[in-house]
Amino acid sequence: MTRQLPAIDTLVEPDRVHKSVYVDPGLFELEMDRIFGRAWIYVGHESQIPNVGDYHQALIGREAVVMVRGDDGKPHVLFNRCPHKGAKLLAQPCGNAGRFLRCPFHGWNFRCDGRLLSVPAREGYEDTRFDLRDPAFSVRRVPRQQSYRGFVFASLAEDGPSLEEFLGGIRLTLDNFCDRAPEGEVEVAGGVFRVWQRSNWKIFFENLNDTSHPMVTHESAVNAARAEYQHRGDGGQMPFQLHIIEGNGEPYDFWGALEMVAYDRGHSYMGAIFTPPTDPVSLGHQAALEAVHGPEKAHEILSVQRHNSIIYPSCAPHTSFQQLRVIRPIAVDRTLVEIYTFRLKGAPEDYFQRSITYANIVNSPSSNVMPDDIEVYARVQEGLATDGGDWVSLHREAGREQGDGNGRYTGGGLSELPMRNQFRAWAEYMGEEA
Amino acid sequence: MSATATMSPADILAAVTAFLFEEAALLDQRRWFDWLELFTPDGMYWAPLRPDQPDPINHVSLFYEDAMMREVRARRLEEKRAWSQQPQVHAARIVGNIRLGTATVPGETVVHSTFLMAESRLSLPQRLLSGFYTHRLLPRGDGFAIVEKRIDLIDSEEVHATLEAFL
Repeated sequence: MTRQLPAIDTLVEPDRVHKSVYVDPGLFELEMDRIFGRAWIYVGHESQIPNVGDYHQALIGREAVVMVRGDDGKPHVLFNRCPHKGAKLLAQPCGNAGRFLRCPFHGWNFRCDGRLLSVPAREGYEDTRFDLRDPAFSVRRVPRQQSYRGFVFASLAEDGPSLEEFLGGIRLTLDNFCDRAPEGEVEVAGGVFRVWQRSNWKIFFENLNDTSHPMVTHESAVNAARAEYQHRGDGGQMPFQLHIIEGNGEPYDFWGALEMVAYDRGHSYMGAIFTPPTDPVSLGHQAALEAVHGPEKAHEILSVQRHNSIIYPSCAPHTSFQQLRVIRPIAVDRTLVEIYTFRLKGAPEDYFQRSITYANIVNSPSSNVMPDDIEVYARVQEGLATDGGDWVSLHREAGREQGDGNGRYTGGGLSELPMRNQFRAWAEYMGEEA
Repeated sequence: MSATATMSPADILAAVTAFLFEEAALLDQRRWFDWLELFTPDGMYWAPLRPDQPDPINHVSLFYEDAMMREVRARRLEEKRAWSQQPQVHAARIVGNIRLGTATVPGETVVHSTFLMAESRLSLPQRLLSGFYTHRLLPRGDGFAIVEKRIDLIDSEEVHATLEAFL
């Protein structure tokens, strides 16, 4: 007997959501179809596959795909499945496949754009319905793929908004990410962290713009960093590593002074007022930007302050520290998060090296900051499974956001606007039947 | 002249073996602050993300910690409101296959070993962590001080749950 799913329109209210959106495996499967089967999902960055045959694996919902550089010089996003017997063609997270993709089972060969090139002992297919030119015998391509300044997205839906339309106002985050590079381009560099979370993917998305958790969740790391600073006892400037950790302990007023900005389709970011940097690493970067653009334009680029932008439902760029977090739902209570660091082309090396240090401090599985996040997410997952209540509160500053009538909404720095905004998009995707 | 210069290889091996066993015991007993004392002031603790990683500066690492960051970790693990340490993580490790390596810095002793370590927290399945230790040691007192402890997990590049305690 199949269990009835709750009606979607009963799960999301303007200021609260029903717990089943986090814990119901049936709803998770429906999310795979209706959200991850429709939205533009981040696949990877073109710089990860510089040469013909280079590939990078990714997940679009439950679909394993691979982004391959073709001999036409373009990235191609393909299902990682041989059209013959179904074997996965590529097994490593990334690498080079050579000039052709070769199935390890029966040796069918494909061009790097997926087109079938040859099959062994071809005479066996004479007078059969097999046809070398029939796309059914080539590696299937995702229905739609599009790049924006090197960031490759794909959609499993044949129709829908273009990538630019989908991104809307959050597109400026990707622009600013690249514009911060003196050469206007970025590249993935320095390795990738991959971390398990024992919780639903939406909990992490909500936390990305949750400003009322750091001082509570990260109390242990903040206390440890402060104690260490005092123990060092020179009273001088706090070292960068400690500063990054200690910043989580800022009081509510600090976070409240930020601005939350949300857009249709679930996207949002935390804004901040630009304070001109004084440290030598930032000044070196600024000088490199000024050398290319002049001081006015450099200032304009740097004054765009977007911390933890959310490109719902697949990734979160952080422009200040040149990183992109990629969120892959694996099961209703299991999420994979990948953290990529980028090099700004034309920026001084120590600027890149600082983003490596930042990633080590904040995003490593060994981070002193992240374990308490992951712990509280798991506790939410376990708590919601109880009979202790049916609803999750999103009431903070509910109803106070300002819309511009054009799909942009702003709220206070402590507002739960980004979460309400995510669930508004969630309900729109989920409510629409195939 | 370092103390090890006058010792036979067998005596050095016995001495470093005792040192590694003692170090493992400190970690398994969560005696973080005693363990921190084993390092030289400039000593480094490094777990590369990739086995062939050339340096810790231009590539992310699972751990890359100087004395300051090791102390932050030790302090956090004992904080009352370290939520992910409720309950605490416990580990037991076996260090074996201990053999002397080739030192490139005069006076240092390089030791290679293999470790298997089980970690337990909550009712989650126990986690098995395993890999290779490389210790660069300097003689100090009756024993040694750690100039660098490098850990190469066999699955360093895979997806990880959090790694909170020292390996």
